[in-house]
Amino acid sequence: MLSSFGYVGILAIVALLFPIGAIITFLLANYLLKLRRPNPAKLTTYECGMDPIGDSWIRFNTRYYLFALLFVVFDVEAVLLYPWAVAYRRLGLYAFVEMAIFIGILLIGYLYAWNKKALEWK
Amino acid sequence: MNLYLLGPELSLIGLAFLVILVDLATHNKNVVAALAGIGLVVPAAWAVSLWGQTASSFYGALVVDSYSIFFKLLFIAAAALVILMSVQYSKRFAPYQGEYYAVILLATAGMMFMASTQELISIYISLELASISLYVLASFLKDAKSSEAGIKYLLLGAVSSAVLLYGMALLYGATGSTKLNEIAQAIQESMQRDQGAVLPAIVLGAIFMAGGFGFKIAAVPFQMWAPDVYEGAPTPITGFLTGASKAAGFAVILRVFFVALGNQAPLPVDWPALFAVLSALTMTVGNLSAIPQANIKRMLAYSSIAHAGFILVGVAAFSSQGVGGVAYYLLGYMFTSMGAFAAIVAISERLGSDQIADYSGLARRAPLLALILAICLISLIGLPPTVGFVAKIYVFWAALQQGLLWLVLFGVLNSVISAYYYLRVVKAMYLGAPASEEPLPVSRTLVVALAVAVIAVLAIGIFPQPWLDFGTGAAIVLIP
Repeated sequence: MLSSFGYVGILAIVALLFPIGAIITFLLANYLLKLRRPNPAKLTTYECGMDPIGDSWIRFNTRYYLFALLFVVFDVEAVLLYPWAVAYRRLGLYAFVEMAIFIGILLIGYLYAWNKKALEWK
Repeated sequence: MNLYLLGPELSLIGLAFLVILVDLATHNKNVVAALAGIGLVVPAAWAVSLWGQTASSFYGALVVDSYSIFFKLLFIAAAALVILMSVQYSKRFAPYQGEYYAVILLATAGMMFMASTQELISIYISLELASISLYVLASFLKDAKSSEAGIKYLLLGAVSSAVLLYGMALLYGATGSTKLNEIAQAIQESMQRDQGAVLPAIVLGAIFMAGGFGFKIAAVPFQMWAPDVYEGAPTPITGFLTGASKAAGFAVILRVFFVALGNQAPLPVDWPALFAVLSALTMTVGNLSAIPQANIKRMLAYSSIAHAGFILVGVAAFSSQGVGGVAYYLLGYMFTSMGAFAAIVAISERLGSDQIADYSGLARRAPLLALILAICLISLIGLPPTVGFVAKIYVFWAALQQGLLWLVLFGVLNSVISAYYYLRVVKAMYLGAPASEEPLPVSRTLVVALAVAVIAVLAIGIFPQPWLDFGTGAAIVLIP
């Protein structure tokens, strides 16, 4: 009984050591292997290829957050639509109805966002 | 896959979407509330029509049996009472009333799924559906206290979900199945093979799951969130948390522990003893902390912790009487706490305060309201002729049958302690001097909620037999 509790203990120790060890190893490997050839362009913040304007620690408009949320919804929808479309012939009517319900639910969300003026940049 | 069996839940989710759409189309928010409330008839009727059936769907993940139907009807009744309580109250967050009702319906759907799942993953998902909806509802007022309630509930709830998942993972790892009956069988076989030895992963899994579910029902030592959340949340939602969310937690606890870990000849884990200790701790800590409270919502929060302890007595009894007692207790407690919180909503609407000191002399300004609140508090103490009395007798009797005399003595002692702080409110209402003589009018929907709740408290208490049969009929599913 006691020895079998030992397995759980070993599991816990491994579960702790594995991520910590991995982090240390990767940081160390990165430090040892990386090439150090800095130049000014490399050291600037990456911002879509533009020269950065100001600091990144500023207040963002919360609308970005709303747009990001809506984007995620439709992103997931697209991800699910692709395999469905590819396998459509084999899945038949049942999958069609299921997908119609799924899109219907998302449509309600879209209508909601539209009605609550989440899509207007004002 | 028989979708007809899932009709109550699916129609409820459909109703929630309909509420959102109607909310977009109309500016008269009373229409939205009426739709949400009256629409509940559909899932309720559907659930009643399924009564007596025993069938499963989705490869055995979801079952329809008298146990799940009992709880489904309980949750629908709770949702209906909350909606009635909210019609006036929700004017405080006027632009978001439609969302409020829709989220209440979704939380109810999650709880209904919780009552009918017998598979670990669907248990987890339905628990999250209910919990996430409740996190949103708790922070609906958007003032400092309500936001605190929401964030506290969210963070601690996430931690408890993680603990619960870890317990489920251990149980799955040890048995190779997520279905409760298959888990029971795998444990039985491995115990026969190893001369009664039990894998430690099963013991740990059971303890972690007790912790995760203990959070849902606010059992000590997982009760820290309850007072702050109950105080900060909108008052109808506080009623919903005490009445329905707690019942959902107990529904899952009973199903998981009785089906997966209670069907072996010697129990693999002595969880009835674990729950007996939790029960004694919970009622004592809850009652003692309730005594110094000055805010009535906070006091009832601690009282609901104490009641989780009393209900756990029935779980610890581990018998069909125990389960029947728990089901009956949950039904009675739902109506009692809903009645009490409806009265608090009515009073705070006019008084603008939840302090017990401000309840002074209420009996002269609103005699009926004070009477209803007093009846609900008497039911919470457990005095006849209310439902609280019969419920307590029944769970204590079930525990005595199993030889848990010490636990019953603890319970009786705690009931005596609890009388002090409940009667303090009654005393303030009836013997205190009123601040003014001006009467307190009550809105019509609230009158309906109050009347339904108080009639149920008295009717179920005076004529307990059909309701006890109802509860025992539900219990029979778990213990043949």
